Amino acid sequence: MSAPGGLPAPASPAPVGRSATRPWWLGVAVAVWGLVWLYGALSLPQAATYAVVGPGFFPAAIGAGLVVLGLLLLVAIARGERFEPQEAEDADLSRPPSRASFWMATAAGVVPIFVIRPLGFPIAAAFAFALTARAFGSRRLLVDLAVGLALGLACWVLFSRLLGLSLPGFPPLGVS
Amino acid sequence: MDALHQLGSGFVVALAPINLLWAFAGSVLGTAIGVLPGIGPALTIALLLPVTTKMNPTGAFIMFAGILYGAMYGGSTTSILLNTPGESGAIMTALEGNRMARRGRGAAALATAAIGSVVAGTLATIVLTFAAPTVAELAFVFGPADYFALMVVAFTSVSCVLGASRVRGFVSLFAGLALGVMGIDAQTGQARLTFGSPELLDGMELVVVLVGLFAIGETIYVASRYSGGEVLMNPLAGGAWMTREDWARSWKPWLRGTLLGFPIGALPAGGSEIPTFLSYMVERRLSSKREEFGREGAIEGVAGPEAANNAAAAGVLVPLLTLGLPTSATAAILLAAFQNYGLQPGPYLFLNNPDLVWGLIASLYIGNVMLLVLNLPLVGIWVRLLLIPRPWLYGGIMVFGIVGVYGLGASELDLAFMALVGLAGYAMRVYDFPIAPALLGMILGPMAETQLRRALAIGQGSPWTLVESPLSATLLVLALAVLLLPTLLRRIRPA
Repeated sequence: MSAPGGLPAPASPAPVGRSATRPWWLGVAVAVWGLVWLYGALSLPQAATYAVVGPGFFPAAIGAGLVVLGLLLLVAIARGERFEPQEAEDADLSRPPSRASFWMATAAGVVPIFVIRPLGFPIAAAFAFALTARAFGSRRLLVDLAVGLALGLACWVLFSRLLGLSLPGFPPLGVS
Repeated sequence: MDALHQLGSGFVVALAPINLLWAFAGSVLGTAIGVLPGIGPALTIALLLPVTTKMNPTGAFIMFAGILYGAMYGGSTTSILLNTPGESGAIMTALEGNRMARRGRGAAALATAAIGSVVAGTLATIVLTFAAPTVAELAFVFGPADYFALMVVAFTSVSCVLGASRVRGFVSLFAGLALGVMGIDAQTGQARLTFGSPELLDGMELVVVLVGLFAIGETIYVASRYSGGEVLMNPLAGGAWMTREDWARSWKPWLRGTLLGFPIGALPAGGSEIPTFLSYMVERRLSSKREEFGREGAIEGVAGPEAANNAAAAGVLVPLLTLGLPTSATAAILLAAFQNYGLQPGPYLFLNNPDLVWGLIASLYIGNVMLLVLNLPLVGIWVRLLLIPRPWLYGGIMVFGIVGVYGLGASELDLAFMALVGLAGYAMRVYDFPIAPALLGMILGPMAETQLRRALAIGQGSPWTLVESPLSATLLVLALAVLLLPTLLRRIRPA
């Protein structure tokens, strides 16, 4: 494989921001994922006595496939393959993406991991709701928190009390 | 006729008050999520999976069918009135439908979409009624090698047809396959790729991946590129309903749309995008008022694609129910729902659970009529759903996602995977990787592995056993053709 990092910076009058549209990390990530699966699969038996292929065969094949696909992706990127963002409702693709909104929405998915057990589901829901709303440009933090808490409470009553899913209530108040 | 007799008993099941209630609940919920952006039928059914495990499977599947059909009605409503297709199958409808709405003919466009959907849905369900038992009968001939070959066809066609490039389609497929092998190997009891974590012994949960890819990935993506989301409504006034001329111009597109939608929907990777697109092109060519297309809005361009869309949804059920082969993301979730109940779709489902299969098919007839009643007079109410402020709508989607994931097993690890998969889903949207192959790979992968190992055990390890039956050989050649065709075409054309 020709090393992707060794490629010279595009000197020709390429389209603006060409280097930014070469996401090498995608190919690397796919290939590394494949290596992890290959490594994990090779520690398993490849053959079984009567079934001929053992439990390790299929994961190893998938890992190898991911490595090959990662390399193919790097080749395609080296050849200047274009990556156009997908259309979505409510999304405006002509403007540059907002970093702040990206991190805010990501936080909405990450924060509940840490607060759902100590603080309970309704409060975790309020955080996730308010963070998402802020990522979409809402600036009324207290209103968003209140709406999120109400929604979280409604979900908790419906799913945990009536339908029997295990959502923690308010551990600080002793309500599980 | 045997099928008619079976269908009769299916109607007895579907018309039971509790099942009518489930069909109604599914239709209402389906229409609502079809109208709303950011949440589709696949995600909705996945979120309901933990809750419905306590339900009777027949009722659950009748509700799921209502969601599936309802989402399409809701999608066409927003396409026509707001030029925002709620589902990918409704993209073509927006082209002419929204132009009609802007000229004050929205009511007629909605009517031809809804009636066309009922006509197509009913016709397609009739074909399904008679075709499904026959195909299921044929499926008894399938050996493990044939099943494996069939899944290879599904894998290659979904990865090649969807998405910007074959490499990206296959990356998505293999990502799904990789997630699918995690957990205990069903045949030897070995723990695979669990990295020593006891929580991973059951494998990666489908709901976690789905919520991550759809709810979280979509929310992060739209948030970072949010357009401000002003909702522009079109007046419903003027020329209120379909005129005699509209009827005359609509009925043939309905039938042609059905004819295109059903068979293509039944093919692997058929989906609803291709038949609706084809139907639009056909109607544009055949219309006597071609000049209306792209200007004031031609009713044929709404009637045809809408019919094709609904017929395709019924077509998807043929391979799902008879072979256990999902051909779309939503069908893959339905397959997972069957597996949740310990049911395996396929020929034996017709023998062992006739109540469920025929009750489900009968409920499709009922659901179509129910949706017509729900949608035509109440369209004003549905559109009002879009007035929910976007920050709150996506906040709500996030909260429901957390309910679905944490409700599974009260595991923070699941939540962490949800966030991680969500970021992957974000990257897939930014760099245009198709999402359906990942889901299909995750759900069908373990089944394909089982069939492969079974086939090899029967053939005592000889790989030739995979191509010994004419059926499997044909299917594998077909898969190879799908894989190589684009390259061959490119080679030939410049010459």
